Amino acid sequence: MSKESISDVMLDCYQVSKNFGGLQALNDVNLKVKHNTIHSLIGPNGAGKSTLLNVITGMITPTHGSVVFDDKPMLDLSPHEINQLGLAKVFQTPAIFPEMTLIKNVCIPALASRDGAFKLNMFQKEGMRSIESFAEETLEEVGLKDSVHKEARFLSRGDKRRLELAICLAHRPKMLLLDEPTAGMARHETENTILLLRKIADRGMTMVIVEHDMNVVFALSETISVLAQGTIIAEGTPNEVKGNPKVIEAYLGEEQE
Amino acid sequence: MEYVVSILKKFPLTVFALVILTMPFWFPWIGGYGGLATKIMIWALFALGFDILLGFTGYLSFGHAIFFGVSAYATGLMFKHFSDEIIPAMIVAVIVGTLASVIIGYLTLKKSGIYFSILTLAFGEMLHSSALSTFGGFTGGENGLTLPDMIPSMLGIEMRGEVMFYMTAAVLILGYYIARRISDSPFGLILKAIKSNQERLEYTGIDVQKYKLGAFVISAIYASVAGSLMVVYEPYVGTEYLRWSTSGNLVLMSVMGGVGTLIGPIIGAAFMLYFENVLSVPLGEEWLLVLGLIFMAIVIFLPGGFTDGFKLIYKKLIGKKPDGEEK
Repeated sequence: MSKESISDVMLDCYQVSKNFGGLQALNDVNLKVKHNTIHSLIGPNGAGKSTLLNVITGMITPTHGSVVFDDKPMLDLSPHEINQLGLAKVFQTPAIFPEMTLIKNVCIPALASRDGAFKLNMFQKEGMRSIESFAEETLEEVGLKDSVHKEARFLSRGDKRRLELAICLAHRPKMLLLDEPTAGMARHETENTILLLRKIADRGMTMVIVEHDMNVVFALSETISVLAQGTIIAEGTPNEVKGNPKVIEAYLGEEQE
Repeated sequence: MEYVVSILKKFPLTVFALVILTMPFWFPWIGGYGGLATKIMIWALFALGFDILLGFTGYLSFGHAIFFGVSAYATGLMFKHFSDEIIPAMIVAVIVGTLASVIIGYLTLKKSGIYFSILTLAFGEMLHSSALSTFGGFTGGENGLTLPDMIPSMLGIEMRGEVMFYMTAAVLILGYYIARRISDSPFGLILKAIKSNQERLEYTGIDVQKYKLGAFVISAIYASVAGSLMVVYEPYVGTEYLRWSTSGNLVLMSVMGGVGTLIGPIIGAAFMLYFENVLSVPLGEEWLLVLGLIFMAIVIFLPGGFTDGFKLIYKKLIGKKPDGEEK
C-alpha cells in the first residue's frame, strides 16, 4: 500500500522502539516525512521527541525498528555518515565553533560537503577562495553578513542559532532537523526565526522541527505529529491536530502554551 | 616597532630562517655554543610537530617520546649494523616511527581528554620498560645503544660541527614551512575545529577519527625525524629517549612557549635547553627550582605562554593604538 507513495517520503521511521533500562522511551513509532514539507513533532515533556531525533541522527541506536532516509537505511551509520547523506541537525543549545570567526565556522561544513568525510588536503590554499565566498553568501542568507569576521563566541544567543543554521545550510542538506529552534528567544527573535525558516523551506527544504512554542508550530508546519509517552497519538494538519480530543487530553495539566 | 611587527607578519618564514641560520654568529654572545644550537634545533622540531597535535586538535599526548625514541633506536641500529650513511638510516627510522604512530594512534584516539593522555603514557612506559628488558639485546638495555667512534656522514660528508648545524637548521626551516602550510590549509582548519567543538564537527559530516589520526601521525613524523637527528648529532641512544620524562619535557616546552602558535613551542624548546645548559651554571644546584617557578609563573600569569607575553608587550609599546587584527 505504501509502494506508490515511497518516492514521496523522504524520511521513514518504521516501528522504532527504544528502551532505557525499564523505561520505554519510544514504542513502535512510525513517522513519515514527505519531501518539501515542514513536519513538526510536538508533545509534552518526556514524550520521547528528543529520543526520536537522536535515533534519526545516529546518536542513539533504537532497540528495534528501522529508519530510512532518501531510500537508504541509516541505522548502522555513524553521525558523520548520516550527515553526508544530507541530513543536518540544529541542536537545542547552539553548537558552533566558538573560538573561530563566523566565516571559518561556515567554511568547515562547506569543505565537508566538497571533500567528503575525509581529505588530506594539507597544502592547499587555492580552493579556499570559492569556499569562503560561498560561506559568505550563506551567512548573508541568515542575516549575519555584518559580523563575518567576528569570533562566534561574541554573538548573542539568537545570532548563535542563526550561525548554526548557516553551518547546517552550508552543507547543502536535503533535510534539516531542528531541535527547539526558538528556545530561549525573545519574541521578536522568534518571529525573525519563523520568517527565516519559512524562507529556507520555500526554496525546497524539508524540515523536521521539535518545538514547544505552539505559535511557531502552527505558523510553520504543514504536518504535525503528536508524541505522548513514546507513541504517536495524533497526526495531521495543524487544524486537525488542534481539535483532536486525544491531544488536548495529553496536554492537559502538562503545560499551557 | 609596528614596522618590525608588520615585517614579522608579512614574512614570518624569511625572518624565521634568518634568525635560525645566523644563530652560529649571535648565539655565542649570549653564552651559547655550537652543539647546543644543534640540539635546540632538534628539540624545536620535536616540539613543532607536537603542536600540530596538541595545539590544533587539543589532544594532549603524554607518550610522544615513543616516536622520538623508537626512531632514535632504529637510527642507531642502522648505524651499527648497516652503514654510517644517514640517509638510509633516517628513512628507515621515520618509516618505523610512522608505523608505530599509526598503530598507537588507532588504538588511543578513540578516547579523548585525560583517558587519551593516560593511554599514551601507558604505551610509552610499556615501550620504555620493554626496551630495557625484552629487547635489551638490541637496545643495549640500561647502558643505552652505544656506537663507539661512529661519525655519521651524508654522501661521504661527515655530519658534525657546522655541517650538522646547517643540515638540522634546514630541516627545521622546512618543517616550519610545512607546519604553516598545514595550519593555513583546509585540513588544518578542520584540525582546529576538533579542538573547538568535536561533536558539532561530527554532525557536520566530518570523519573526525581520521583527521585526528592524520594529526597524530604527522606529529609523530616530526618526532621521528627529530629522534633520528638526535642520534646523528650524538651517536648514542639513551634509554631516557623513550622515557615519560622526554614526553613531559615536550609538554613543558609547548606550554611555556604558547600552545597552538607553532612558533611558541620552538621558543619554548629553545628556552628550556638554553636554561638547562647555560643559565643553570650561574644558578647552580637550584636551577631546576627556578625553572619550576618560571613555569608556574607562566601558567598563572600568561596562560598563552611566551607568545602571549610578546603580544602583551607589543600592545603596551604601541600604547593607545587599537588592537588591529589579531592572529
